[in-house]
Formats: sequence, C-alpha cells, structure tokens
Amino acid sequence: MIKYFLILLILVYSGITVAGPMSDFKAGAELSEELSSSPTGKRNTPSSDSLIQSIEALNPNNSDIWSELQDNLLGKDINVLFVDDIKLIMQDYIEEAHKVPLIVTLPKRLHNFKNFILIIENNPIQQALSIKPYRSIEALGMNIRLEDDSPVRAAVLGDNGIWYIGSKMAFVASAGGCSTPACDPSVEVCETGTIGKIAIKQYEREAGAERIKLKITHPMETGFVTDLQGEIIPEYFVKNIHVDDNEGPIADITTFAALSSDPIILLDLPKKGQSVRIHVKDSLGLEFFSFKNNNTM
Amino acid sequence: MKFLNIILILILYFYSYPSFTSNYFDLIPIEVSKNVYVILGDNNDINKNNGGAISNTGFIVGDNGILVIDAGPSYLYASSVIEIINSYSKLPIKYLVVTHHHADHSFGISRYLEINTEIIMAEAEAKRYLKYGNRSLRQLSSLIGEEWFLNTKINSFQYKEKEYPVNLDLGARNIIIELYEEGHSDGDLIVKDLSSNTLFVGDLVFGQRAPTSPHANIYNWKNYLDEIIKKDWDILIPGHGNIIKNKEDVLQTKKWITFIDKTAKEASANGISALEIFNKGLPNFIKEYKLAKETWYRDLPLLINKYEFD
Repeated sequence: MIKYFLILLILVYSGITVAGPMSDFKAGAELSEELSSSPTGKRNTPSSDSLIQSIEALNPNNSDIWSELQDNLLGKDINVLFVDDIKLIMQDYIEEAHKVPLIVTLPKRLHNFKNFILIIENNPIQQALSIKPYRSIEALGMNIRLEDDSPVRAAVLGDNGIWYIGSKMAFVASAGGCSTPACDPSVEVCETGTIGKIAIKQYEREAGAERIKLKITHPMETGFVTDLQGEIIPEYFVKNIHVDDNEGPIADITTFAALSSDPIILLDLPKKGQSVRIHVKDSLGLEFFSFKNNNTM
Repeated sequence: MKFLNIILILILYFYSYPSFTSNYFDLIPIEVSKNVYVILGDNNDINKNNGGAISNTGFIVGDNGILVIDAGPSYLYASSVIEIINSYSKLPIKYLVVTHHHADHSFGISRYLEINTEIIMAEAEAKRYLKYGNRSLRQLSSLIGEEWFLNTKINSFQYKEKEYPVNLDLGARNIIIELYEEGHSDGDLIVKDLSSNTLFVGDLVFGQRAPTSPHANIYNWKNYLDEIIKKDWDILIPGHGNIIKNKEDVLQTKKWITFIDKTAKEASANGISALEIFNKGLPNFIKEYKLAKETWYRDLPLLINKYEFD
C-alpha cells in the first residue's frame, strides 16, 4: 500500500503525464503509453518501474559516463542546455536492435545549427554521426544500432555557441545490436548487397520544402562481431558523406559504425533543390559517388 | 495439526508452482465436426505465459491414419499435441501439413520427424524455415526463455516434391491440400476435409486479430481471400483466432491488409517515415483488432521499407 502511495507521490512530483504512444522524452519528462504497456516480454510488469528507471537514466546527473562523454564529444568548458523542444521520435521498445529508425525534429531557433551529434550512451560506439550543415535543416533521421537499453541524445550546437540537448530513453527486447551479427552465417544464409550502392530520393513536403533520403549499401561492421571461426570481423564503416545539389553543398556528415548496416539518412530542408548527389568515403578509403565522378570533388 | 497441514500444503504449492507452470501447455481440443479437431492457440503475442502457443493446430482422424495441421511453436508443444492425439486414437500420425514457415506454426517439426510423420510444406517455405529458423529460434529463446524451446531444432527433412493440389486418403476420409503462392507467405497451404466440409486456411485468415504481413504480397493475398470466400465450406479454421462459420468474418483480414498496404504505399510515395505515422496515434478503425498496436508498429515500417527503395 505504502509502496503504491510512494510511486504516486513520485509520479506527481516529477510532473509526469501520460501521453501518446510515441511521445518524446526530455530529462525527467513524460511517460509514453508504450512505456506503460510494454509489448515485449522483457518488462512485462511495465508500470512505474520502467518509468522511474527511464527518468533516472535520462537525467545526466545520474549517468556515470555523461560528463566524460560530453567532454570528449562536445568539448570541455562548454555551455550545455537540456531542452524538450528537440524531439527524438523513435519507438520506446525496440524489437530489432540492429536497425532502429530515429527522426530528430528541431525547433525553429535551431534550424541554422552549426553541428549535430547523435549520442547513444550505453553503446560501445557511442557516437552515431555528426552533421555540419551548409544550409538550414529542419529535421533529420537515421537508422542506428542499440547495444542495450540506453538514453539516446541529440546534441545540437546553436549559432550562439550553446549546445542544446534533447534526450529519449529506448529499451531493446534483446540486447546486442552492436555485438551480435544481424545475420548469423553459422545458421543461415546471409545475403550481402554490393558495397557502395547508393539510392537517393527527393520528396516534396508542404510549401516547397524538401525531404532527402539517402541509402548506402554498406556492412557498417562494428568490430565487435565474431565470424564463424571466432575471429573478430574488423570494423569497416562509412566515414564521410558529402551531400550537395545544384545550389552547392548541403552538409558534411561524419558517420560511425553505430549507424546500422545499409545506413539511411534523412534530411528535411526548407527549400527544394535540384539533383541532390552524394560522395561517400569509407574507413578503408574506398569512395563511392552517386554521380559520374570526373575528379572535380 | 490440520491447520499446519494446510499451511504446509500451501507452502509446497507455492514452491512447486513455477516448475509446474513454466513449461506446461494447457491444450483442449475442440471437435468441430466428427473426427475433426482444433486446438485453439492463445490469441495473443508470444509471451512467457503461453510459451509461443498462439496459433491454431488441427487434426483429422481417418480410418487408417491421422493428419495434423501445423506443428506449433516448439518440440514441447508438438509433444503435448501428439500425446493428446494418441489419447484419442492409436492410429499413426501419417502427415503433418505446415501451412507456412513462421515460428509459431513450424518449430514443432523436429518432434514429428521422430515419429516418421511425412512433412508437407510448400517448397519455398521449407527453404525459409531452414534459412531463418535458427535466427528466430534464438530471438524467441531470448524473449520468453530457453526452457520453452527445449529440444527444439531446425532440422532439415526429406522434402518430397508435390503437385498441388494434393489429394490424400486417410481411410474413408479424403483431404485436398492446395497451395497459395506468394500471398500471406511465399507458399501457404490450405487443407480441406471433404466429409465435414471444413477448411483449414492457416494465416491467410486471422480471426479477430490483426493479420501479420512481414513476408506478404498483399495484392495476391487479397485475391486469395476473395477466392476463399467464394469456396464451398461450412467451417473455416483460421491460423489464429476463433472458428469461423460466417463468410463475412473473412473480410476482416482483407480490410486490415488493404488499409496497411495503402498507408505504406502513400507513405513511401511521399517519403513519410513510419515513425511519423505512429506519432499521430493509431487510426481509429484498426482499434477493433486484437494486437492492433503491436502489429501496426511491427509491420508498417517493413512494408514502407519494401516499397520505398524498390
């Protein structure tokens, strides 16, 4: 009885409201419906436990690693603000941890950001990518790997020099998005696509705005997976993606193996351009072009 | 003294409770027609309580043999079913028809191989079972516990090529097995028992519950549903959910797959991500389906992905 009362107290004091199935988290934010009705067997007593757990995990003060991560990835002696208007749209409970889609929408004041870094705290590879844009970007998306339950944070450097950080807690049904093979060749036939195959799609959004989706066929080996002989498959991943169109460069993206294999990147721009193209470099130095290269790049 | 005994019994009861329940299937066959039985699965997602027994299993008893429809999720499940069948009839279990390769229908195969039952399965689905079986076995074990999958193996078995439709005689009982290629799966088998006019359709039809479509060709599937509605049958056994006697109940499956397919096609044409659709909440009409949310979340991204970069 007392236990329930305490939980209720905690709920009231932390200002939690029950929200829609895909609601977003900031540090100490709201409880989504998913979290309260866990569909996977992992937490079949959903309740306040997983809620409190996620709120605690999202609070950077409770994290053993956040301050070090912040120093390493964002820089020392910087101004950081945890905010709730950077929305991380992703599922709360994830069944396939090798490929987790994620969209980050930015508030208007951050459309002209200087740098964007996606951080997965509990991953062996904590940084998924960083994006340095040449134009304003309204939202971006990607597919990431999750090794285990983890806070996922989008750090956005505003033009005032402050890092704004939006966070979301993600739970995985079975851990190992970075350290187990997505396809296990010892028990199944694995098909691999041609490395470096590129697909680019441009869509019109409302009022002349544009959405760009890129897909690059690449294994994105993390270096944590072993092969049939027990040997570690060395890391091998896409390192840089340069995106441009007929009006010039759009963004330089630095990527890491915390992106899933065959990574997909999504960029929402306020204005539609013509003929988007990309130039990709991977960690073995191979280069791929979505266009005929005549050494101009 | 009596009081102490009761306490002792209670203590014993609670201590033994987990070991009694953890690997136990509570299976009750329903006789839908003379010598035609159905064991209804738990119309739910696979979880720790149901041990994966979520799909329906059927068996038909002839004068000289028995045919089973679907192997269930594991060796243990198949063993329980075989035990039940033996308590009804001592005749040999001659055939096992596996309607398609999904784990909840096929992972009991290894148990039937031990009693020399002939396995009838579409060739494409037998291949998928071998190709993806171990991976999903591993995922399921980590989800609900390895103890549910004790002895469950993904065995290759002697595959006999068939000309569909296949006609079988169980002894004064004629069975027709038809193949529906690239519909709900790469090859769904449906089984018709002529004497009772009963049709076992596997996962081409879902009762009450949201149909799952990870390997589906929805265009074909819709046509197959029309064919199934037109067919002559009195009783229809879906892969999941209750026994169907009313033809209109089949339309429920068609309505869902039409809707999810349309949603996915529109999304992929406009570059909309599944996440953004989820963010708007569940569409109203799908709420009447059981497991609507889980299925919607699982299948919509797969379908969008399939259409998007094709």
